[in-house]
Amino acid sequence: MVRVKSRYLLCEVNVSDRSRLLLLDDRAVAATVKAAVARIHGDYGAALCSIRFSVKYLNAHTGIVFLRFPKKCYRLLWSALPFITCIETRGQKISCFLNCLHVGGTMRTCQKFLIRYNTQQLHRMLPKCKNEEEKQQVQKAILNCSLTGRNKEAFEVESESEEDEEEE
Amino acid sequence: MSAAKVKMRGKKMRNQPASVQYPSSLLNAESSPKNGGDTPVTGVHEGPSDVHPFTARPKNPHQRGGWVRGHQKDGGGYAKEMSKYITAGPFARARAAEVSTMLKAVTKTTGSCHVFGALPKHMRRRAMSHNTKRLPRRLRDAANRMREKSLQAGSKKKKEQAKSKSRKARRRHGNLLLEFNRRQRKNVWLETHIWHAKRFHMVKKWGYCLGDRPTYKCYRPSYRAMSSHCLLQDLSYYCCIELQGEEDKLLASLSQLCSKEAGPTFAAAVCLSGRRQGSVVVYRAGLYPSQPLGPVTFLWRPRTQGSAHRQLWIWAHPNMKQDLLPELQAVCQCCEAVVPPVLPVVTPAEVVPTVEPEPKPEKTAEAKQVTGTKRKRTFKDAGGPPAKKILGDGTRSPTTSVTWKSSSNGIVINDLTMEIVRYRLIGPQSHSVLAETMEPATDCDEMNKSQPSSLWWPEHCKNQSKMNLHREQADVFHILKGLYSTGELPSGTVLGLTVDDPRLTLPTKKVKALPCVKQAQEVDEEKTRELMLRGVPEHCCQSYLWEQSVRDNVTENKISEQELNRMRSEVLVPGSRLSPTPLQGRVPVLLVHQPGKQLGHEMSSWGAGWDLLLPKGWGMAFWVPLVYRGVHIGGLNMSLKHSQNKGAPHFPHDYPDCPAGVRFQEEQETQLLDKFKRRPPAKRTNYIKHGCLAPFCCPWQQLAEEWELISRQGGEERKGDQTQTTAEADALMTSHGDIPVTKPPSRVTVLRNRKSLRVLSGWCRPTTSKGQRRCRVGEVPPLDRLALTSFLTAHGMSLVWVRLSILSKGKPELHAMVCAPTAEDLKLLKKESFSGPQEPTHKDHFKSRIRRRKKAPKKAATSSLCRDKAEGKESELPSASEPNPATSEDAKSSSQSPSHLVVGLWPDPLPSVTAHCSRVTLGWVTQGDFSLSAGCGEALGFVSVAGLLNTLLNQPMEHRGMLLLRDPTSLHYRFAKINIEV
Repeated sequence: MVRVKSRYLLCEVNVSDRSRLLLLDDRAVAATVKAAVARIHGDYGAALCSIRFSVKYLNAHTGIVFLRFPKKCYRLLWSALPFITCIETRGQKISCFLNCLHVGGTMRTCQKFLIRYNTQQLHRMLPKCKNEEEKQQVQKAILNCSLTGRNKEAFEVESESEEDEEEE
Repeated sequence: MSAAKVKMRGKKMRNQPASVQYPSSLLNAESSPKNGGDTPVTGVHEGPSDVHPFTARPKNPHQRGGWVRGHQKDGGGYAKEMSKYITAGPFARARAAEVSTMLKAVTKTTGSCHVFGALPKHMRRRAMSHNTKRLPRRLRDAANRMREKSLQAGSKKKKEQAKSKSRKARRRHGNLLLEFNRRQRKNVWLETHIWHAKRFHMVKKWGYCLGDRPTYKCYRPSYRAMSSHCLLQDLSYYCCIELQGEEDKLLASLSQLCSKEAGPTFAAAVCLSGRRQGSVVVYRAGLYPSQPLGPVTFLWRPRTQGSAHRQLWIWAHPNMKQDLLPELQAVCQCCEAVVPPVLPVVTPAEVVPTVEPEPKPEKTAEAKQVTGTKRKRTFKDAGGPPAKKILGDGTRSPTTSVTWKSSSNGIVINDLTMEIVRYRLIGPQSHSVLAETMEPATDCDEMNKSQPSSLWWPEHCKNQSKMNLHREQADVFHILKGLYSTGELPSGTVLGLTVDDPRLTLPTKKVKALPCVKQAQEVDEEKTRELMLRGVPEHCCQSYLWEQSVRDNVTENKISEQELNRMRSEVLVPGSRLSPTPLQGRVPVLLVHQPGKQLGHEMSSWGAGWDLLLPKGWGMAFWVPLVYRGVHIGGLNMSLKHSQNKGAPHFPHDYPDCPAGVRFQEEQETQLLDKFKRRPPAKRTNYIKHGCLAPFCCPWQQLAEEWELISRQGGEERKGDQTQTTAEADALMTSHGDIPVTKPPSRVTVLRNRKSLRVLSGWCRPTTSKGQRRCRVGEVPPLDRLALTSFLTAHGMSLVWVRLSILSKGKPELHAMVCAPTAEDLKLLKKESFSGPQEPTHKDHFKSRIRRRKKAPKKAATSSLCRDKAEGKESELPSASEPNPATSEDAKSSSQSPSHLVVGLWPDPLPSVTAHCSRVTLGWVTQGDFSLSAGCGEALGFVSVAGLLNTLLNQPMEHRGMLLLRDPTSLHYRFAKINIEV
């Protein structure tokens, strides 16, 4: 009935050196964001950021990050994100910037958006492929994206595992 | 977080994606991530840089921690070092993997395994859970699968529920009958069961289904009916045992079961002639004052000319039948069980197969079946055996023998349980109800007489002497109408009668039967007086209900309700009486007068009434006409109240010395204890604080033993008459320890010796309950030490049934304590405002022990040493505060096994019950209520004879017989007047 409302920001970490993307860590991202907010908005901002801010999801391969902010002050916090230039992790500085793709009220909408966005990107890639091998790989990836057809099978697998749990 | 919470969270987060990142240690130590295997999604793909193929996967699928079960690793084939430049393959693969995880997260909702979880809340409906067609089509498949699965899981646990027929099919007569027969396999149904089940709270007791109390409010109306009109009860569950044999042999064997000291026996002259019904308390053979079995009523069949062969019916409560029947068999030496089919036809003691066919006209039923539209069903019916209505005992198999014969003395015992229907009408107007309901059987036509008939009545009509008898009986029955009240008749009067089917004279509306005294008195006042003084003449007590063959004939040839209605519809003038009464409708009945209140001086013959005995199968035919005469119907509850108002002990509640009574007490204890435990501990009555040792079950044995010990010591001391009972009680306290050692083998009994009771009653200064009238003390010896000791040697271990009327306000409850007042209390009684002394609140030493026990497991977890210390400390505490060594000793012993401790109840080894409170306990109340007849609280119960006499001896003359009553839930003592009624 009554719930605490948040805003979820779906951001993309753009790095200059792709090989260092794998070093990313959710704690590091969180620390960087907090530092940026503190730098831009001072103590007030740091306090806001400490309340219900968290990194909900991070994919080190694609550089996708879900950030959660309280709904009340997400604009303020968001405004600090462009000032991030590098993320310090494991003793290394990864120079990067955050690009916000989507702002959603729930994780679900962000996830939905991400699906759409990724598939769109893949579709865009397909005509630009340079050789046949690449093309096949991309096609395969696109086919893997959809759950249709596999849906039923996955469901059954899942329910079986459920049964196992109950029997234990 | 507890384990359950972790599990819940795991379930909830199962489908949510986890972050994909590499732990630092792994990243540094190894060249590639350990869980860099592949997911089901990307597993198909084998990239060129795939270092770890499938073999890596099963090694550690859950490497990422407990709850991230569903995490999907994308970029399966990646090495740690990502190439500097973007290549299409890995890029696309990474995206695809992410998409698939996200898709999973989005499509599968969190937590709930229901499909409706996928629906937004405003679209969910409750009915969806069992009707999948209410779901959107895209979800139906999944929902159906879930449903099947849950059904299968259900069938694993319990058998799949049989597909029930439609209501219409179930309510069809045959099927309904089958269902009813199935349901009465375990518990016997009375013939009025359906009628009762619609109106009463039914209880399963003693192997029967009985109505306990009506569902409507009628406590006071029922009482009013008992005292001014008529209350009807179905007592068919009482067991009838028939004894046949020579009179002297029967009497010789039955004399072992009872004693003359306790009142008239089976051989009482009035009863033996068959004119009166008698009642007697039966003991085990030859063991008279000890080991009683319970009360029975008995009825002799009047003698037939020149024959010593007699028939006797013994009516007993079903709870004592299991004790009584073996005893009777032993006494009569009847050990040969007669197998039903082998029975010779000559002896009338034959056994009817318990399943009787419903006497319905076969022809019409067949005709209907042929013409019926539902042909399919008729075929089915023809295949199976037709359902028959169960009359009599449905739980017994037809081959069980119910007859026992003796080879030595020729006595035959016959178990007639459920063979005879018994209705009880209580109240002064019950005779007018009977007179209005029943009409003496009409004679047959000449034409019918001449033809031979299979029915019994036309055969009887041919015999002139039998018809004369019938006319005489009818005359007596007519005189009955002229009585003022049922109580005017001598108690136990029997009247045999043959009546018409009462359904023929059923009024169209319920009308209250009223007496027609004036009209009848004009007719013959002389005869009425004769009836009131002498009762019914002996030959009129004969009835054909005694004859097995007639009973069977009547039962088999009963006209069904359906047939009767058909005949009624064919009458020319609607609503008029059927002119030639159908020949089947003649029923032999027995009317037995039930005495009302016989004991005591006030309200005499309150609650008198008639018992109506019918052959089986005719129950409902008489029940409905009786109900249409404006009687009230009572259940078990009302019969308890009836005996309470009469001041009579009710079986099995008030027979603590009988095996049935003991069984009942145990049942009652568990019942009350369960009820007590259902309350939260903080809301329970703390009986320890109230000083109530046994709120649920009275320890009669212990009480009697303790009082015997006290009186014996009192006798030894002989210091004088001034010995206070409290002092004696103190003496008991010290000697309490050796009671179990000197435990006498004798069991507690209830005093039923008439002479002794009369003496005791005189000593209590019998007065009326309100103390208005003093009665003759008569030839009772004065109460002194000598008389007391001589009395106590005979009845030291006995209890006596007493009635207590409260002087001021207050309503005694079940198991209220009867206590002896001290001298100061009696002095204070003279004051107007003094309502009774107060009991000081007791201390509950068990509470701390229970609390400690609760803590114990926790402490054990931390350290056992610490707990030992605490125990030592706490066990010191009660002994310091409680000077009584017995209690603390007791506490120690019980602390060793505290598993049975219940908050607010004394644990099992009770301390001295007599001296536990500030006033000495004499006994307990077994029935207590506000008496509507007396207008004050009245209690019935038992007190110890020894205790009572000791108390009476020390009381001044003007206050003799004054006792105190205290409810288990109260601390207030109330003064009550004791009455022993003989």
